Amino acid sequence: MRYILICFIFFTTLVAEGLEVDASFGLISDFFPNVKKGKNSNSFTTNQELEFTYTKDDFKAYTKLYAQEAYYDLVEDESKHTDRTFARVDEAYLEYESDNFKVEGGKAIKFWGALEAKNISDVFNAREFRNKPSDNEKLGSYFLEYDYYTDDGTLSLIAKLYEDKQYMAGQAYQFYFLPSFISYDSELKSDNSLFYPTFYLKYSASTQWENALDYSLILQHGYDSQRYFLPDDFSTLEQGLPTTFNEHTYLVNKIISYNTMLVDNTLYKLEALYTDVIDSKYISNYMHLGLGFEYTFNNIFNLDSNLGLIGEYYYYTTFEDNKFTDLQLFEIYQNDLFLGVRYSFNDTDDSNIVAGVIADVEYGEEVYSFKYETRFFDSLKFKTAYSYIKPSKNTQTAYNLLGETQTLTFDLKYYF
Amino acid sequence: MAMSNLNVAINADKVMRGYKDASSSMKMTLINSSGDTSIRTMKMQILEKPDGDKSLMTFLTPRDVKGTKFLSYEHINKDDDQWLYLPALKRVKRIASRNKSGSFMGSEFSYEDLASFNMKKYNYSGDAKIEKLDGKDVYIALRTPKSKNSGYSKQVTYIDTKSFLVQKVEYYDTKKRLLKVSTFDDYIKIDGVWRVGKISMKNVQNDKGTILVWSDQKIKTGLKDKDFHKRVLKR
Repeated sequence: MRYILICFIFFTTLVAEGLEVDASFGLISDFFPNVKKGKNSNSFTTNQELEFTYTKDDFKAYTKLYAQEAYYDLVEDESKHTDRTFARVDEAYLEYESDNFKVEGGKAIKFWGALEAKNISDVFNAREFRNKPSDNEKLGSYFLEYDYYTDDGTLSLIAKLYEDKQYMAGQAYQFYFLPSFISYDSELKSDNSLFYPTFYLKYSASTQWENALDYSLILQHGYDSQRYFLPDDFSTLEQGLPTTFNEHTYLVNKIISYNTMLVDNTLYKLEALYTDVIDSKYISNYMHLGLGFEYTFNNIFNLDSNLGLIGEYYYYTTFEDNKFTDLQLFEIYQNDLFLGVRYSFNDTDDSNIVAGVIADVEYGEEVYSFKYETRFFDSLKFKTAYSYIKPSKNTQTAYNLLGETQTLTFDLKYYF
Repeated sequence: MAMSNLNVAINADKVMRGYKDASSSMKMTLINSSGDTSIRTMKMQILEKPDGDKSLMTFLTPRDVKGTKFLSYEHINKDDDQWLYLPALKRVKRIASRNKSGSFMGSEFSYEDLASFNMKKYNYSGDAKIEKLDGKDVYIALRTPKSKNSGYSKQVTYIDTKSFLVQKVEYYDTKKRLLKVSTFDDYIKIDGVWRVGKISMKNVQNDKGTILVWSDQKIKTGLKDKDFHKRVLKR
């Protein structure tokens, strides 16, 4: 049924007159200088994106396709395979908008959030774990949505129709973080049907006060975006024997808010959520909070360039004993401070540098990152990035399992 | 006949206003100090409002930023409200708009240059002089920005004495040195309202330039406040 829906939307956009087509072709090279034994010390991938947009009056049809090919999936030695060659339908939806309402349905990716390092309120879509975590890729979700427009904002009722599983790269890939004796099975398990819908009632608006405020409040019932892993056999895990992990999901009631306030020339940001778990014996009620600011200095060094300073703090806690904690849930942003700078050259090629450090106040972990991007010949986008993960020495966090990691990336994308 | 700077500005404002709303395509040609050029294209929509216009820009090229949108609510007595939509992330970001002198898209136009056609944003005093510019009589009128965050100490406008259309503007930096000069060309009259068709900006301090050319200009198309609501960014 899902595939029929996607095919219908795809062909609706394809046969229509006035169709807009956009495409890109990318080459990504990653190098991992201090890789662990058994993992590939580099990664070479190509990717292609294809977008079809058809708009007529108040009607819109949109489809976005993505495909990726990884070099190591082509070599004969299966121990080097990374399972990172795939094709995805990221989005395929139809939308009709009237004066004061909009209805849409299909498959889509949404963004909910205000902060920069981590958007804890961005809970709608499942994540793609076959690429670098810093890519923050999301998987499209099947949905129906009705938006009602008020004078100041938008009231939305959204139903997510299916809970998607999350794939992970093979063990030879650097960012497969589980120990080598644990295999990951992407089948998603739940006590309820994965077709059990998740409902979101969302209100977003902006105030016209002296200090402008953009705010959003979301009430959710259904599957949680936080997932947990369980082995298919606990005894083999305790003995360190090969075992398989499955991902599990559960039902929750949740309240989420994300907000941005502008005071003088500083943006203040808040994301917060509280989750009441309905039906899991492993997962406790929990809260997650993120606070931040962003200030931009303009015309640095008497040039047109800008320098933005970003500071953010994240806190996560559970409320019930004898249930999974942040460590079992591999929650990285549980007591973390992020400091970053964004330097925009403000040149014709939109060149910019983003650099920052995320410091885990509790477990002594640090992640340093640097990224430079620019454009060549109007249609070639070039990025280079470096990151260094210094994991906790004594606590079994996700980074502790992953190990000390350096990543050097070169990313070239051609748009046509 | 002598005319005050304020009255020159009122007359110049009068011939350009009354369009209610406008939509057009805009081509931006960036010229570096070596003469190399780079082109940006975008779609523009503007809603005329007595206390500050609302505008929506949709970027069409370069292709990697296609679909990026910039929404601005101009205010006379406080900072503008501005949002940027990034289609790759599906994210709407509020922009701190106090930086009026920052470059717009790497061009020699600042945000202030593109949003400052509203005469209420300036102070005026004294009388305008009359001189010749390219064989035409023009008022040379002085205006000083009201905002303390402006990148300019003053602007000198050259305005045709007959049509009251702006021909040229000189922009002086906060150290009172000449920074940029813009020339206005290809005016067209649509439904009784003048619209400029081309503005060339030359930065005399770094020798870079930018040319804006508008095409397919329409006014009074029926755009309303709802067409400039923040939600249209995601459309």
